[in-house]
Amino acid sequence: MLKFPKSAAFAVLALATLSSPSLAEGDADAGQKVFKKCAACHAVGEGAKHKVGPELNEIFGRAAGSAEGYKYSKAMIEAGDAGLVWDAATLGEYLTNPKGMIKGTKMAFAGLKKDDEVANVLAYLRTFSQEAAAAPAAAETGEAPVETAAAAAPPEPAPAADMVVEKSQGAFGLGRKALPEEIAAWDIDIRPDGTGLPEGSGTVAQGEPIYTDNCAVCHGDFGEGAGRWPVLAGGQDTLRNDRPEKTIGSYWPYLSTVFDYVRRAMPFGNARSMSDDDVYALTAYLLYLNDVVDDEEFELSKENFASVRLPNEANFIADGRADEPHYAKSVEPCMTDCKPGPVEITARAQVIDVTPEGEGDENSGGSID
Amino acid sequence: MVDITDPKPTKKAASRRDFLKAGLLGGAAVAASAGAARAAGDPLITEIQDWNRYLGEGVDVAPYGKPSEFEANVVRRNVPWLTADPVSSINFTPLHELDGIITPNGLCFERHHGGTAIINPADHRLMINGLVDTPLVFTMEDLKRFPRENRVYFLECAANGGMEWRGAQLNGCQFTHGMIHCVVYTGVPLRYLLEEAGVKTNGKWLLAEGADASAMTRSIPMEKALDDCLVAFKMNGEALRPEQGYPLRLCVPGWEGNMWVKWLRRLEVGDEPWAQREETSKYTDLLADGKARRHTWVMDVKSVITSPSPQAPVTHGKGPLVITGLAWSGNGTIKRVDVTLDGGRTWQTARLDGPSLPKALHRFYLDINWDGSELLLQSRAMDDQGLVQPTKNELRLARGENSIYHNNGIQTWHVNNDGVVENVEVS
Repeated sequence: MLKFPKSAAFAVLALATLSSPSLAEGDADAGQKVFKKCAACHAVGEGAKHKVGPELNEIFGRAAGSAEGYKYSKAMIEAGDAGLVWDAATLGEYLTNPKGMIKGTKMAFAGLKKDDEVANVLAYLRTFSQEAAAAPAAAETGEAPVETAAAAAPPEPAPAADMVVEKSQGAFGLGRKALPEEIAAWDIDIRPDGTGLPEGSGTVAQGEPIYTDNCAVCHGDFGEGAGRWPVLAGGQDTLRNDRPEKTIGSYWPYLSTVFDYVRRAMPFGNARSMSDDDVYALTAYLLYLNDVVDDEEFELSKENFASVRLPNEANFIADGRADEPHYAKSVEPCMTDCKPGPVEITARAQVIDVTPEGEGDENSGGSID
Repeated sequence: MVDITDPKPTKKAASRRDFLKAGLLGGAAVAASAGAARAAGDPLITEIQDWNRYLGEGVDVAPYGKPSEFEANVVRRNVPWLTADPVSSINFTPLHELDGIITPNGLCFERHHGGTAIINPADHRLMINGLVDTPLVFTMEDLKRFPRENRVYFLECAANGGMEWRGAQLNGCQFTHGMIHCVVYTGVPLRYLLEEAGVKTNGKWLLAEGADASAMTRSIPMEKALDDCLVAFKMNGEALRPEQGYPLRLCVPGWEGNMWVKWLRRLEVGDEPWAQREETSKYTDLLADGKARRHTWVMDVKSVITSPSPQAPVTHGKGPLVITGLAWSGNGTIKRVDVTLDGGRTWQTARLDGPSLPKALHRFYLDINWDGSELLLQSRAMDDQGLVQPTKNELRLARGENSIYHNNGIQTWHVNNDGVVENVEVS
């Protein structure tokens, strides 16, 4: 095994065996739940195909970077060429810290932090691997890694155990006063005027590698979008076109929305994992991809954030539906002789033929985003 | 999709066209067996059937009951090409199979942006913060000690019908209109919770936030929040389904579904809207001139004939035919629904049946004697504000074809002589 010192692996093995062999075995049913974190990008089971990441059938015993038809990172292919084969130990290491093990992997996922999650998801994946099923003994001897720190850590204190509870002063006296640190933990929304922005800063140049590692897999190297994932850049002057392209630069009214959304919900499947400086740097890089700034050294910070305006801000208007002619007329609807002659069919759904009828319907008829 | 006359559904193997053929043959078979009955009697009557002789399952077999196995085709379906990934996607209520105004919990369409969050109610918290006298945290137990209300409301996604802006595209009312459901919610008026925290005089807006992996957020004007919004924990009498926001969701009656934040964990009071992703990049209505409307909250007056429809063809031939559908308006109740059989030249008023509740689905029927000739079916709803459902072309004229959201245009179904139904548009 390249890159993984034997001693470390043995230490892990020893601890796993000592502390909790049943944990190391993992629970496939529980692993199925953990796998939801992976399922945005990976498919497994009958008929699984490559998605953002490769399909994971027969992953046990598979050489790294070897699934046919999937475009791996250079780093993953090199790891496979150097002899990396996926088994409980190597997968465990990888799932715990993907980028720590394979520097340059496309997998944006930051890693599973709990040892039992790793063990359980491996148990689940093992059910789709014949090789592993044929030799379960190896897995049961405790090869599945257990994060030493996590295993040794004391259980988290029960929340609210020693908390000072101040009761509600309202009419019902229900609920309790929220603590400042609780509000700070959840209240992360940003408004267009910059209200809510945290301290911090980041440059376009700092944002580029963060984007490449975390975002490009879905949004494309230049924000052009992969598959049906959102396009983030380009599309300027297309809003009146037959097929408008609504991006940050062409459509979004406020930069605050980018910062707010990235911080609360991205990367997809690993929300709240980036530092505030990283989000500043990413936001700066998205401005660069959208030609709003052109200097790679441009630094976005809490101080200059509200001064950056997006090009389409002025084109958002109030709801004007009530003034549309068909609502404004307010007359009794016609009941007889409402059309001059026989009614003709002008469009048919069957001609377009995009209605799902079964499996494998790859037709495309637009998007509702 | 499977014909309900086939007792053993073959699931996905049959294409829709096979299904339509089978349906029509089924109709023929019924006619033939009626003939046979005249000769020797219907064997389903003259011969003793298994279910009449042998015992069925006991009361301990299904602690939580499921629909009959013969209803296996009554399911939510998705349109794989619509979105990048099923974890952030939508599926559709099978309207063509349902009747009345209440949607069964397991058939309510799902739209979520980070998958279904699984939350133990003991671990759930609702926080109110921002421009309030006292920021508060509630447990689910706290919330269930406030006075409750029961209200029937429809929830419609603003993008319902969004794929039809450029023309007839999807062949089934499940897909053209199925981003809607209607259930009875049990919950606490949002007003009580806000009053408990004490909204400051400059608190004009509310930000609702979900606890899921997308931390969904929407800005809601305080006037609406204090009017009829509910913080609900039950739907149709039982706990919310996980995919509908268990253990807690916001109800914003009559307004677009995206605002009904699921897995509701935080309400922040502010003096300005927040311009979140789902109210800028999404859920804004792009017009032909490149301008975009924002804060288009109300769901307009709308209706659709659910049967006959492409997935529910006429299989019984000429004679009595029940035309039925749904009508709704985010403004209030439905006053009237008209139906045309000839593509809009002449209209007749349909019969509304069942409860007529504000911001809820209404069921209508038109019982006709079908002569077997071609039909161009449409329905046209009018609400208690006097607003009349527009045609698709009127909407296109006013907005262009890139609005995505708020398509409440009149739907046309073409019924051919054989009873096959297709989604069409007419002159």
